[in-house]
Amino acid sequence: MKVVPSRSSEWVRPVTSQEPASVIIEIDRVSQVFQTSARKDHVALSDISLTIDDGAFVSILGPSGCGKSTLLYIVGGFVTPTSGSAKIKGRPITGPGPDRGPVFQEFALFPWKTVLGNVMYGPRQQGMRPSEAEAQSRALIEMVGLKGYENFYPKELSGGMKQRVALARTLAYHPEVLLMDEPFGALDAHTRTRLQNDLLNIWERDRKTVLFVTHSVDEAVFLSDKVVMMSKSPGRIRQVIDIDLPRPRRRNELLLDSRYQKYVVDIERMFDEVEETGSPS
Amino acid sequence: MMSLAALAKRAAPVFACIGLLAAWQAASFALKNDSFPTAIEAIRAIPDILGDKEALINILASLRRMAIGFGVAVMVSIPLGLLMGRSRAVAAFFNPLLMVIYPVPKAALMPIIMLWLGVGDVTKTLVIFLGVSLPVIYHSFEGAKAVEEKMLWSGAAMGLSPAQRLVRIVLPAALPEILTGCRTGLVLALISMITSEMIARQSGAGNILFNALDMGQYDTVYAMIIIVGAMGICLDAIFERVRARLVRWSEPQFDLPLSFS
Ligand SMILES: Nc1ncnc2c1ncn2[C@@H]1O[C@H](COP(=O)(O)OP(=O)(O)OP(=O)(O)O)[C@@H](O)[C@H]1O
Ligand SMILES: [Mg+2]
Repeated sequence: MKVVPSRSSEWVRPVTSQEPASVIIEIDRVSQVFQTSARKDHVALSDISLTIDDGAFVSILGPSGCGKSTLLYIVGGFVTPTSGSAKIKGRPITGPGPDRGPVFQEFALFPWKTVLGNVMYGPRQQGMRPSEAEAQSRALIEMVGLKGYENFYPKELSGGMKQRVALARTLAYHPEVLLMDEPFGALDAHTRTRLQNDLLNIWERDRKTVLFVTHSVDEAVFLSDKVVMMSKSPGRIRQVIDIDLPRPRRRNELLLDSRYQKYVVDIERMFDEVEETGSPS
Repeated sequence: MMSLAALAKRAAPVFACIGLLAAWQAASFALKNDSFPTAIEAIRAIPDILGDKEALINILASLRRMAIGFGVAVMVSIPLGLLMGRSRAVAAFFNPLLMVIYPVPKAALMPIIMLWLGVGDVTKTLVIFLGVSLPVIYHSFEGAKAVEEKMLWSGAAMGLSPAQRLVRIVLPAALPEILTGCRTGLVLALISMITSEMIARQSGAGNILFNALDMGQYDTVYAMIIIVGAMGICLDAIFERVRARLVRWSEPQFDLPLSFS
Protein backbone atom coordinates (compact mmCIF):
# COMPACT_ATOMS: atom_id res chain seq x y z
CA MET A 1 0.00 0.00 0.00
CA LYS A 2 1.24 3.41 -0.86
CA VAL A 3 1.63 5.75 2.04
CA VAL A 4 0.28 9.12 1.14
CA PRO A 5 2.16 11.87 2.96
CA SER A 6 -0.22 13.51 5.37
CA ARG A 7 1.63 16.70 6.16
CA SER A 8 0.36 19.57 4.13
CA SER A 9 2.75 21.48 1.98
CA GLU A 10 4.53 24.39 3.58
CA TRP A 11 3.15 26.96 1.19
CA VAL A 12 -0.44 26.53 2.36
CA ARG A 13 -1.35 29.65 4.22
CA PRO A 14 -4.38 29.96 6.42
CA VAL A 15 -7.23 31.51 4.53
CA THR A 16 -6.91 35.17 5.47
CA SER A 17 -9.07 36.47 2.70
CA GLN A 18 -11.65 38.99 3.89
CA GLU A 19 -14.37 37.50 1.77
CA PRO A 20 -14.18 33.71 1.85
CA ALA A 21 -17.24 33.62 -0.42
CA SER A 22 -15.00 34.60 -3.33
CA VAL A 23 -13.26 31.24 -3.36
CA ILE A 24 -14.65 29.21 -6.24
CA ILE A 25 -12.49 26.07 -6.23
CA GLU A 26 -11.01 24.32 -3.24
CA ILE A 27 -8.65 21.42 -3.69
CA ASP A 28 -8.02 19.75 -0.37
CA ARG A 29 -5.17 17.28 0.13
CA VAL A 30 -5.80 15.56 -3.17
CA SER A 31 -3.69 12.54 -4.12
CA GLN A 32 -3.95 10.44 -7.22
CA VAL A 33 -2.41 7.00 -7.46
CA PHE A 34 -2.48 5.08 -10.73
CA GLN A 35 -2.05 1.36 -11.12
CA THR A 36 0.49 0.80 -13.84
CA SER A 37 0.38 -2.23 -16.11
CA ALA A 38 3.24 -3.69 -14.10
CA ARG A 39 0.81 -3.68 -11.14
CA LYS A 40 2.83 -1.07 -9.33
CA ASP A 41 1.34 1.99 -7.74
CA HIS A 42 2.36 5.20 -9.38
CA VAL A 43 1.76 8.39 -7.43
CA ALA A 44 0.82 11.03 -9.96
CA LEU A 45 -0.32 13.65 -7.47
CA SER A 46 0.58 13.81 -3.83
CA ASP A 47 -1.17 15.94 -1.26
CA ILE A 48 -2.24 18.83 -3.42
CA SER A 49 -4.06 21.67 -1.70
CA LEU A 50 -5.02 24.78 -3.58
CA THR A 51 -7.76 27.37 -3.45
CA ILE A 52 -8.71 29.43 -6.45
CA ASP A 53 -10.54 32.71 -6.17
CA ASP A 54 -13.55 33.46 -8.27
CA GLY A 55 -12.42 35.24 -11.39
CA ALA A 56 -8.73 34.47 -10.92
CA PHE A 57 -6.40 33.46 -13.71
CA VAL A 58 -4.22 30.67 -12.32
CA SER A 59 -1.52 28.91 -14.29
CA ILE A 60 -0.06 25.54 -13.49
CA LEU A 61 3.54 25.13 -14.50
CA GLY A 62 5.70 22.05 -14.17
CA PRO A 63 7.75 19.43 -15.94
CA SER A 64 6.13 16.89 -18.23
CA GLY A 65 4.45 14.09 -16.32
CA CYS A 66 4.10 15.97 -13.02
CA GLY A 67 0.35 15.57 -13.03
CA LYS A 68 -0.89 18.89 -14.42
CA SER A 69 -3.46 17.27 -16.68
CA THR A 70 -4.55 14.90 -13.93
CA LEU A 71 -5.16 17.83 -11.59
CA LEU A 72 -7.26 19.51 -14.25
CA TYR A 73 -9.28 16.32 -14.79
CA ILE A 74 -10.00 16.11 -11.09
CA VAL A 75 -11.35 19.66 -11.04
CA GLY A 76 -13.33 18.85 -14.19
CA GLY A 77 -14.86 15.87 -12.43
CA PHE A 78 -13.60 13.45 -15.08
CA VAL A 79 -11.32 11.67 -12.64
CA THR A 80 -12.10 10.93 -8.98
CA PRO A 81 -9.03 11.43 -6.81
CA THR A 82 -7.70 8.47 -4.82
CA SER A 83 -7.89 10.58 -1.69
CA GLY A 84 -8.72 14.13 -0.75
CA SER A 85 -11.53 16.21 -2.18
CA ALA A 86 -12.22 18.99 -4.63
CA LYS A 87 -15.06 21.46 -4.29
CA ILE A 88 -16.63 24.05 -6.51
CA LYS A 89 -18.52 26.84 -4.75
CA GLY A 90 -18.49 24.74 -1.61
CA ARG A 91 -20.08 21.70 -3.25
CA PRO A 92 -18.02 18.53 -3.68
CA ILE A 93 -17.17 17.80 -7.31
CA THR A 94 -18.78 14.48 -8.21
CA GLY A 95 -18.74 14.67 -11.98
CA PRO A 96 -18.44 16.91 -15.01
CA GLY A 97 -20.81 19.80 -15.51
CA PRO A 98 -21.33 22.78 -17.82
CA ASP A 99 -20.03 25.13 -15.12
CA ARG A 100 -16.52 23.82 -15.90
CA GLY A 101 -15.41 23.88 -19.51
CA PRO A 102 -12.37 21.82 -20.47
CA VAL A 103 -10.09 22.50 -23.42
CA PHE A 104 -8.10 19.31 -23.81
CA GLN A 105 -4.50 18.93 -24.87
CA GLU A 106 -5.76 16.44 -27.49
CA PHE A 107 -8.53 18.81 -28.77
CA ALA A 108 -11.10 15.98 -28.73
CA LEU A 109 -13.20 17.63 -31.44
CA PHE A 110 -16.20 15.75 -32.82
CA PRO A 111 -14.87 14.58 -36.20
CA TRP A 112 -18.34 14.08 -37.69
CA LYS A 113 -19.26 17.71 -37.10
CA THR A 114 -18.01 20.69 -39.03
CA VAL A 115 -16.23 23.55 -37.30
CA LEU A 116 -19.58 25.30 -36.92
CA GLY A 117 -21.26 22.10 -35.75
CA ASN A 118 -18.60 21.59 -33.11
CA VAL A 119 -18.86 25.11 -31.76
CA MET A 120 -22.67 25.03 -31.78
CA TYR A 121 -22.85 21.70 -29.97
CA GLY A 122 -22.65 23.04 -26.42
CA PRO A 123 -25.10 25.93 -26.81
CA ARG A 124 -27.57 23.62 -28.57
CA GLN A 125 -27.24 21.06 -25.81
CA GLN A 126 -27.96 23.84 -23.36
CA GLY A 127 -31.19 24.50 -25.21
CA MET A 128 -30.27 27.68 -27.07
CA ARG A 129 -32.30 28.31 -30.23
CA PRO A 130 -30.49 27.21 -33.41
CA SER A 131 -30.40 30.66 -34.99
CA GLU A 132 -29.02 32.25 -31.85
CA ALA A 133 -26.48 29.46 -31.30
CA GLU A 134 -25.33 29.76 -34.88
CA ALA A 135 -24.90 33.52 -34.79
CA GLN A 136 -22.97 33.35 -31.56
CA SER A 137 -20.81 30.47 -32.79
CA ARG A 138 -19.97 32.26 -36.03
CA ALA A 139 -18.78 35.23 -34.01
CA LEU A 140 -16.59 32.99 -31.86
CA ILE A 141 -15.15 31.26 -34.91
CA GLU A 142 -14.27 34.65 -36.31
CA MET A 143 -12.68 35.62 -33.03
CA VAL A 144 -10.34 32.63 -33.06
CA GLY A 145 -9.40 33.53 -36.62
CA LEU A 146 -11.18 30.76 -38.48
CA LYS A 147 -13.67 32.77 -40.50
CA GLY A 148 -14.23 30.97 -43.77
CA TYR A 149 -13.60 27.53 -42.26
CA GLU A 150 -17.09 27.10 -40.76
CA ASN A 151 -17.93 24.15 -42.99
CA PHE A 152 -14.61 22.34 -42.76
CA TYR A 153 -14.38 19.02 -40.97
CA PRO A 154 -11.72 18.59 -38.26
CA LYS A 155 -9.68 16.25 -40.48
CA GLU A 156 -9.30 19.13 -42.90
CA LEU A 157 -7.70 21.43 -40.31
CA SER A 158 -4.13 21.84 -39.11
CA GLY A 159 -3.18 21.14 -35.49
CA GLY A 160 -3.25 24.81 -34.54
CA MET A 161 -6.63 25.31 -36.21
CA LYS A 162 -8.08 22.34 -34.34
CA GLN A 163 -6.85 23.82 -31.10
CA ARG A 164 -8.60 27.08 -31.87
CA VAL A 165 -11.84 25.26 -32.66
CA ALA A 166 -11.55 23.41 -29.35
CA LEU A 167 -11.18 26.74 -27.56
CA ALA A 168 -14.17 28.24 -29.35
CA ARG A 169 -16.27 25.14 -28.70
CA THR A 170 -15.71 25.45 -24.96
CA LEU A 171 -16.16 29.23 -24.81
CA ALA A 172 -19.45 28.80 -26.66
CA TYR A 173 -21.35 27.39 -23.70
CA HIS A 174 -20.08 29.97 -21.23
CA PRO A 175 -18.62 27.83 -18.46
CA GLU A 176 -17.85 29.72 -15.26
CA VAL A 177 -14.49 28.02 -14.96
CA LEU A 178 -12.23 27.34 -17.93
CA LEU A 179 -9.92 24.34 -17.56
CA MET A 180 -7.32 24.75 -20.25
CA ASP A 181 -4.66 22.12 -20.85
CA GLU A 182 -1.84 23.65 -22.88
CA PRO A 183 -4.39 25.18 -25.21
CA PHE A 184 -1.78 27.09 -27.17
CA GLY A 185 0.82 24.34 -27.23
CA ALA A 186 0.44 23.49 -30.91
CA LEU A 187 0.33 27.06 -32.20
CA ASP A 188 2.96 29.05 -34.00
CA ALA A 189 4.43 31.96 -32.04
CA HIS A 190 2.38 34.58 -33.85
CA THR A 191 -1.02 32.90 -33.46
CA ARG A 192 -0.11 32.05 -29.92
CA THR A 193 0.48 35.68 -29.03
CA ARG A 194 -2.73 36.69 -30.74
CA LEU A 195 -4.79 34.10 -28.91
CA GLN A 196 -3.16 34.97 -25.60
CA ASN A 197 -4.31 38.53 -26.14
CA ASP A 198 -7.79 37.40 -27.14
CA LEU A 199 -8.03 35.17 -24.10
CA LEU A 200 -6.94 38.03 -21.85
CA ASN A 201 -9.53 40.30 -23.45
CA ILE A 202 -12.30 37.77 -22.93
CA TRP A 203 -11.13 37.18 -19.41
CA GLU A 204 -10.87 40.86 -18.54
CA ARG A 205 -14.37 41.34 -19.89
CA ASP A 206 -16.13 38.30 -18.35
CA ARG A 207 -13.80 37.59 -15.43
CA LYS A 208 -14.19 33.87 -15.78
CA THR A 209 -12.04 31.76 -13.54
CA VAL A 210 -9.28 30.16 -15.57
CA LEU A 211 -7.13 27.21 -14.63
CA PHE A 212 -4.44 27.17 -17.27
CA VAL A 213 -1.81 24.48 -17.76
CA THR A 214 1.27 25.46 -19.70
CA HIS A 215 4.92 24.64 -20.29
CA SER A 216 5.78 28.21 -21.09
CA VAL A 217 7.03 30.47 -18.31
CA ASP A 218 6.42 33.77 -20.13
CA GLU A 219 2.93 32.68 -21.08
CA ALA A 220 2.19 31.90 -17.44
CA VAL A 221 3.57 35.22 -16.19
CA PHE A 222 1.93 37.23 -18.92
CA LEU A 223 -1.53 35.79 -18.33
CA SER A 224 -1.80 34.92 -14.66
CA ASP A 225 -2.63 36.29 -11.26
CA LYS A 226 -1.01 33.25 -9.72
CA VAL A 227 1.48 30.71 -10.99
CA VAL A 228 1.47 27.30 -9.36
CA MET A 229 4.84 25.64 -9.73
CA MET A 230 4.73 21.86 -9.53
CA SER A 231 7.48 19.29 -9.15
CA LYS A 232 7.59 15.76 -10.37
CA SER A 233 7.55 12.24 -8.97
CA PRO A 234 5.37 12.45 -7.12
CA GLY A 235 3.56 15.52 -8.39
CA ARG A 236 3.49 18.16 -5.66
CA ILE A 237 3.02 21.87 -5.48
CA ARG A 238 6.45 23.43 -5.04
CA GLN A 239 5.41 27.03 -4.78
CA VAL A 240 2.62 29.45 -5.58
CA ILE A 241 3.80 32.77 -6.95
CA ASP A 242 1.54 35.82 -7.03
CA ILE A 243 2.08 37.81 -10.18
CA ASP A 244 1.73 41.43 -9.21
CA LEU A 245 1.54 43.13 -12.55
CA PRO A 246 -1.00 45.79 -13.49
CA ARG A 247 -3.92 45.01 -15.78
CA PRO A 248 -4.93 45.34 -18.48
CA ARG A 249 -1.63 43.92 -19.64
CA ARG A 250 -0.15 44.85 -22.96
CA ARG A 251 2.47 42.56 -24.29
CA ASN A 252 4.70 45.26 -25.75
CA GLU A 253 4.69 47.16 -22.45
CA LEU A 254 5.23 44.09 -20.30
CA LEU A 255 8.22 42.86 -22.26
CA LEU A 256 10.01 46.07 -21.28
CA ASP A 257 8.81 45.97 -17.68
CA SER A 258 11.62 44.92 -15.31
CA ARG A 259 9.14 43.36 -12.87
CA TYR A 260 7.84 41.10 -15.62
CA GLN A 261 11.38 40.20 -16.60
CA LYS A 262 12.26 39.36 -13.01
CA TYR A 263 9.24 37.09 -12.65
CA VAL A 264 10.21 35.24 -15.79
CA VAL A 265 13.84 34.85 -14.78
CA ASP A 266 12.98 33.73 -11.23
CA ILE A 267 10.37 31.25 -12.31
CA GLU A 268 12.59 29.86 -15.03
CA ARG A 269 15.29 29.25 -12.46
CA MET A 270 12.77 27.53 -10.21
CA PHE A 271 11.61 25.41 -13.16
CA ASP A 272 15.19 24.26 -13.74
CA GLU A 273 15.58 23.31 -10.09
CA VAL A 274 12.33 21.41 -10.10
CA GLU A 275 13.29 19.52 -13.21
CA GLU A 276 16.65 18.48 -11.77
CA THR A 277 15.36 17.31 -8.39
CA GLY A 278 12.55 15.24 -9.83
CA SER A 279 13.39 11.55 -9.74
CA PRO A 280 11.28 8.52 -10.58
CA SER A 281 9.62 7.04 -7.53
CA MET B 1 -16.32 16.69 -67.98
CA MET B 2 -14.90 13.50 -66.62
CA SER B 3 -11.17 13.16 -66.96
CA LEU B 4 -9.76 10.17 -68.81
CA ALA B 5 -8.37 8.74 -65.58
CA ALA B 6 -11.73 9.04 -63.85
CA LEU B 7 -13.43 7.42 -66.83
CA ALA B 8 -10.95 4.55 -66.77
CA LYS B 9 -11.56 4.12 -63.05
CA ARG B 10 -15.30 3.95 -63.56
CA ALA B 11 -15.02 1.53 -66.47
CA ALA B 12 -12.52 -0.75 -64.71
CA PRO B 13 -15.14 -2.99 -63.06
CA VAL B 14 -16.94 -3.38 -66.40
CA PHE B 15 -13.69 -4.47 -68.06
CA ALA B 16 -13.08 -6.86 -65.18
CA CYS B 17 -16.51 -8.47 -65.77
CA ILE B 18 -15.97 -8.71 -69.51
CA GLY B 19 -12.55 -10.23 -68.95
CA LEU B 20 -13.95 -12.80 -66.56
CA LEU B 21 -16.72 -13.78 -68.98
CA ALA B 22 -14.24 -14.04 -71.85
CA ALA B 23 -12.00 -16.33 -69.82
CA TRP B 24 -15.02 -18.44 -68.96
CA GLN B 25 -16.07 -18.66 -72.61
CA ALA B 26 -12.58 -19.71 -73.66
CA ALA B 27 -12.27 -22.27 -70.86
CA SER B 28 -15.57 -23.94 -71.61
CA PHE B 29 -14.70 -24.09 -75.33
CA ALA B 30 -11.42 -25.70 -74.49
CA LEU B 31 -12.86 -28.23 -72.04
CA LYS B 32 -15.96 -29.15 -74.05
CA ASN B 33 -17.66 -30.56 -70.98
CA ASP B 34 -21.46 -31.01 -70.80
CA SER B 35 -21.64 -29.78 -67.21
CA PHE B 36 -19.71 -26.59 -68.08
CA PRO B 37 -21.78 -24.41 -70.41
CA THR B 38 -20.23 -21.45 -72.15
CA ALA B 39 -20.75 -17.97 -70.75
CA ILE B 40 -23.06 -17.10 -73.63
CA GLU B 41 -25.28 -20.13 -73.00
CA ALA B 42 -25.53 -19.22 -69.36
CA ILE B 43 -26.37 -15.60 -70.09
CA ARG B 44 -29.01 -16.72 -72.59
CA ALA B 45 -30.73 -18.66 -69.82
CA ILE B 46 -31.09 -15.60 -67.61
CA PRO B 47 -34.16 -14.05 -69.31
CA ASP B 48 -35.95 -17.41 -69.07
CA ILE B 49 -35.47 -17.48 -65.33
CA LEU B 50 -36.37 -13.85 -64.80
CA GLY B 51 -39.38 -14.22 -67.07
CA ASP B 52 -40.72 -17.16 -65.12
CA LYS B 53 -43.26 -16.09 -62.52
CA GLU B 54 -42.50 -19.01 -60.23
CA ALA B 55 -38.76 -18.28 -60.28
CA LEU B 56 -39.33 -14.60 -59.67
CA ILE B 57 -41.51 -15.31 -56.63
CA ASN B 58 -38.78 -17.57 -55.33
CA ILE B 59 -36.08 -14.95 -55.78
CA LEU B 60 -38.20 -12.24 -54.19
CA ALA B 61 -38.94 -14.52 -51.23
CA SER B 62 -35.18 -14.99 -50.82
CA LEU B 63 -34.58 -11.25 -50.90
CA ARG B 64 -37.35 -10.68 -48.39
CA ARG B 65 -35.83 -13.12 -45.90
CA MET B 66 -32.44 -11.58 -46.46
CA ALA B 67 -33.74 -8.05 -45.86
CA ILE B 68 -35.54 -9.06 -42.67
CA GLY B 69 -32.61 -11.12 -41.34
CA PHE B 70 -30.14 -8.35 -42.14
CA GLY B 71 -32.35 -5.55 -40.81
CA VAL B 72 -33.16 -7.23 -37.52
CA ALA B 73 -29.54 -8.30 -37.04
CA VAL B 74 -28.27 -4.76 -37.58
CA MET B 75 -30.86 -3.28 -35.25
CA VAL B 76 -29.94 -5.69 -32.48
CA SER B 77 -26.19 -5.93 -33.06
CA ILE B 78 -25.26 -2.24 -33.25
CA PRO B 79 -26.67 -1.32 -29.81
CA LEU B 80 -25.30 -4.52 -28.31
CA GLY B 81 -21.82 -3.99 -29.78
CA LEU B 82 -21.73 -0.35 -28.69
CA LEU B 83 -22.80 -1.23 -25.15
CA MET B 84 -20.18 -3.96 -25.01
CA GLY B 85 -17.53 -1.52 -26.18
CA ARG B 86 -18.36 0.98 -23.47
CA SER B 87 -19.26 -1.25 -20.55
CA ARG B 88 -16.94 -3.82 -19.11
CA ALA B 89 -19.86 -5.60 -17.44
CA VAL B 90 -21.89 -5.97 -20.63
CA ALA B 91 -18.81 -7.15 -22.52
CA ALA B 92 -17.97 -9.69 -19.81
CA PHE B 93 -21.52 -11.02 -19.93
CA PHE B 94 -21.81 -11.51 -23.69
CA ASN B 95 -18.22 -12.27 -24.61
CA PRO B 96 -18.18 -15.99 -23.67
CA LEU B 97 -21.40 -16.59 -25.59
CA LEU B 98 -20.12 -14.84 -28.70
CA MET B 99 -16.77 -16.56 -28.51
CA VAL B 100 -18.53 -19.91 -28.65
CA ILE B 101 -20.83 -18.93 -31.52
CA TYR B 102 -18.22 -17.07 -33.55
CA PRO B 103 -16.25 -19.98 -35.08
CA VAL B 104 -19.30 -22.21 -35.62
CA PRO B 105 -20.49 -22.14 -39.25
CA LYS B 106 -24.05 -20.88 -38.92
CA ALA B 107 -25.21 -23.32 -41.58
CA ALA B 108 -24.06 -26.16 -39.34
CA LEU B 109 -26.66 -25.04 -36.80
CA MET B 110 -29.42 -25.34 -39.35
CA PRO B 111 -30.33 -28.97 -38.74
CA ILE B 112 -30.95 -28.16 -35.08
CA ILE B 113 -32.87 -25.00 -35.88
CA MET B 114 -34.92 -26.94 -38.45
CA LEU B 115 -35.82 -29.49 -35.81
CA TRP B 116 -37.19 -26.75 -33.62
CA LEU B 117 -38.62 -24.28 -36.06
CA GLY B 118 -39.27 -26.29 -39.21
CA VAL B 119 -38.03 -25.63 -42.73
CA GLY B 120 -39.95 -22.41 -43.28
CA ASP B 121 -39.08 -18.73 -43.36
CA VAL B 122 -38.30 -18.46 -39.66
CA THR B 123 -35.44 -20.94 -39.78
CA LYS B 124 -33.85 -19.42 -42.86
CA THR B 125 -34.23 -15.88 -41.59
CA LEU B 126 -32.71 -16.91 -38.28
CA VAL B 127 -29.65 -18.32 -40.03
CA ILE B 128 -29.23 -15.07 -41.95
CA PHE B 129 -29.68 -13.15 -38.70
CA LEU B 130 -26.93 -15.19 -37.03
CA GLY B 131 -24.57 -14.79 -39.96
CA VAL B 132 -24.97 -11.00 -40.03
CA SER B 133 -24.95 -10.42 -36.27
CA LEU B 134 -21.42 -11.42 -35.44
CA PRO B 135 -19.43 -9.14 -37.74
CA VAL B 136 -21.73 -6.23 -36.93
CA ILE B 137 -21.41 -6.82 -33.18
CA TYR B 138 -17.67 -7.21 -33.49
CA HIS B 139 -17.11 -4.05 -35.51
CA SER B 140 -19.52 -2.00 -33.37
CA PHE B 141 -17.68 -3.23 -30.31
CA GLU B 142 -14.27 -2.31 -31.71
CA GLY B 143 -15.55 1.05 -32.90
CA ALA B 144 -17.08 1.91 -29.53
CA LYS B 145 -13.99 0.81 -27.67
CA ALA B 146 -11.78 3.06 -29.76
CA VAL B 147 -13.80 6.22 -29.09
CA GLU B 148 -11.46 8.77 -27.59
CA GLU B 149 -12.30 9.25 -23.93
CA LYS B 150 -11.76 13.01 -24.05
CA MET B 151 -14.53 13.23 -26.63
CA LEU B 152 -16.92 11.67 -24.14
CA TRP B 153 -15.62 13.96 -21.43
CA SER B 154 -16.25 16.97 -23.66
CA GLY B 155 -19.83 15.77 -24.10
CA ALA B 156 -20.23 15.17 -20.38
CA ALA B 157 -19.02 18.70 -19.66
CA MET B 158 -21.69 20.03 -22.04
CA GLY B 159 -24.27 18.20 -19.98
CA LEU B 160 -24.91 15.02 -21.99
CA SER B 161 -26.16 12.11 -19.90
CA PRO B 162 -24.52 8.68 -20.29
CA ALA B 163 -27.35 7.50 -22.56
CA GLN B 164 -27.08 10.66 -24.67
CA ARG B 165 -23.34 10.17 -24.96
CA LEU B 166 -23.86 6.64 -26.26
CA VAL B 167 -26.28 7.77 -28.95
CA ARG B 168 -24.83 11.16 -29.83
CA ILE B 169 -21.10 10.59 -29.41
CA VAL B 170 -20.24 6.88 -29.40
CA LEU B 171 -22.59 6.03 -32.27
CA PRO B 172 -21.40 8.70 -34.72
CA ALA B 173 -17.76 8.31 -33.70
CA ALA B 174 -17.91 4.55 -34.26
CA LEU B 175 -20.01 4.79 -37.42
CA PRO B 176 -17.19 4.19 -39.93
CA GLU B 177 -16.27 0.98 -38.13
CA ILE B 178 -19.93 -0.04 -37.71
CA LEU B 179 -20.58 0.37 -41.42
CA THR B 180 -17.52 -1.72 -42.25
CA GLY B 181 -19.13 -4.46 -40.17
CA CYS B 182 -22.47 -3.97 -41.92
CA ARG B 183 -20.83 -4.29 -45.30
CA THR B 184 -19.31 -7.63 -44.33
CA GLY B 185 -22.69 -8.52 -42.85
CA LEU B 186 -24.48 -7.78 -46.09
CA VAL B 187 -22.31 -10.20 -48.07
CA LEU B 188 -22.70 -12.79 -45.32
CA ALA B 189 -26.47 -12.30 -45.50
CA LEU B 190 -26.38 -13.28 -49.16
CA ILE B 191 -24.17 -16.28 -48.45
CA SER B 192 -26.35 -17.41 -45.54
CA MET B 193 -29.44 -16.93 -47.67
CA ILE B 194 -28.22 -19.30 -50.39
CA THR B 195 -26.78 -21.78 -47.90
CA SER B 196 -29.99 -21.93 -45.90
CA GLU B 197 -32.01 -22.59 -49.05
CA MET B 198 -29.58 -25.25 -50.08
CA ILE B 199 -30.11 -27.10 -46.81
CA ALA B 200 -33.82 -26.49 -46.33
CA ARG B 201 -34.96 -26.81 -49.94
CA GLN B 202 -38.42 -25.47 -50.35
CA SER B 203 -38.26 -22.09 -51.99
CA GLY B 204 -35.83 -19.37 -52.90
CA ALA B 205 -32.98 -18.63 -55.26
CA GLY B 206 -30.82 -21.37 -53.75
CA ASN B 207 -33.62 -23.85 -54.31
CA ILE B 208 -33.85 -23.02 -58.03
CA LEU B 209 -30.10 -23.39 -58.33
CA PHE B 210 -29.88 -26.79 -56.68
CA ASN B 211 -33.00 -28.15 -58.33
CA ALA B 212 -31.50 -27.27 -61.69
CA LEU B 213 -28.30 -29.03 -60.64
CA ASP B 214 -30.26 -32.17 -59.73
CA MET B 215 -31.96 -32.13 -63.09
CA GLY B 216 -28.77 -31.52 -65.02
CA GLN B 217 -29.89 -28.12 -66.38
CA TYR B 218 -26.38 -26.73 -66.22
CA ASP B 219 -27.03 -23.49 -68.08
CA THR B 220 -29.73 -22.66 -65.52
CA VAL B 221 -27.29 -23.45 -62.70
CA TYR B 222 -24.72 -21.07 -64.12
CA ALA B 223 -27.33 -18.45 -64.93
CA MET B 224 -28.49 -18.54 -61.32
CA ILE B 225 -24.90 -18.12 -60.16
CA ILE B 226 -24.65 -15.03 -62.36
CA ILE B 227 -27.94 -13.69 -61.01
CA VAL B 228 -26.97 -14.23 -57.40
CA GLY B 229 -23.53 -12.77 -58.04
CA ALA B 230 -25.04 -9.72 -59.72
CA MET B 231 -27.39 -9.28 -56.80
CA GLY B 232 -24.42 -9.32 -54.44
CA ILE B 233 -22.49 -6.82 -56.51
CA CYS B 234 -25.47 -4.46 -56.77
CA LEU B 235 -26.29 -4.63 -53.07
CA ASP B 236 -22.68 -4.02 -52.16
CA ALA B 237 -22.40 -1.11 -54.58
CA ILE B 238 -25.56 0.53 -53.23
CA PHE B 239 -24.41 0.01 -49.67
CA GLU B 240 -20.98 1.43 -50.45
CA ARG B 241 -22.59 4.56 -51.90
CA VAL B 242 -24.65 5.08 -48.77
CA ARG B 243 -21.69 4.33 -46.52
CA ALA B 244 -19.38 6.75 -48.29
CA ARG B 245 -21.99 9.49 -47.97
CA LEU B 246 -22.54 8.86 -44.27
CA VAL B 247 -18.89 8.90 -43.27
CA ARG B 248 -17.48 11.45 -45.68
CA TRP B 249 -16.06 13.27 -42.66
CA SER B 250 -13.74 10.38 -41.84
CA GLU B 251 -12.53 9.26 -45.28
CA PRO B 252 -8.93 9.93 -46.21
CA GLN B 253 -8.89 12.35 -49.12
CA PHE B 254 -7.35 10.14 -51.76
CA ASP B 255 -7.97 6.46 -51.74
CA LEU B 256 -9.23 3.80 -54.06
CA PRO B 257 -12.40 2.40 -52.55
CA LEU B 258 -12.72 -1.34 -52.82
CA SER B 259 -16.07 -1.41 -54.54
CA PHE B 260 -17.96 -1.76 -57.77
CA SER B 261 -19.88 1.49 -57.77
N1 LIG C 1 -4.60 6.62 -16.91
C1 LIG C 1 -3.37 6.56 -16.34
N2 LIG C 1 -2.87 5.39 -15.92
C2 LIG C 1 -1.65 5.32 -15.34
N3 LIG C 1 -0.84 6.39 -15.18
C3 LIG C 1 -1.28 7.58 -15.59
C4 LIG C 1 -2.56 7.74 -16.21
N4 LIG C 1 -2.73 9.04 -16.52
C5 LIG C 1 -1.59 9.65 -16.13
N5 LIG C 1 -0.73 8.79 -15.57
C6 LIG C 1 0.58 9.12 -15.00
O1 LIG C 1 0.41 10.23 -14.16
C7 LIG C 1 1.48 11.14 -14.31
C8 LIG C 1 0.92 12.51 -14.59
O2 LIG C 1 0.32 12.53 -15.87
P1 LIG C 1 -0.27 13.85 -16.49
O3 LIG C 1 -0.82 13.54 -17.82
O4 LIG C 1 -1.19 14.46 -15.51
O5 LIG C 1 1.05 14.73 -16.63
P2 LIG C 1 1.23 16.21 -17.22
O6 LIG C 1 1.87 17.02 -16.17
O7 LIG C 1 -0.04 16.70 -17.78
O8 LIG C 1 2.28 15.97 -18.39
P3 LIG C 1 2.43 16.75 -19.81
O9 LIG C 1 2.99 18.08 -19.50
O10 LIG C 1 3.41 15.91 -20.56
O11 LIG C 1 1.09 16.79 -20.44
C9 LIG C 1 2.37 10.60 -15.39
O12 LIG C 1 3.53 10.11 -14.78
C10 LIG C 1 1.59 9.50 -16.04
O13 LIG C 1 2.45 8.43 -16.31
MG1 LIG D 1 -0.76 17.05 -19.72
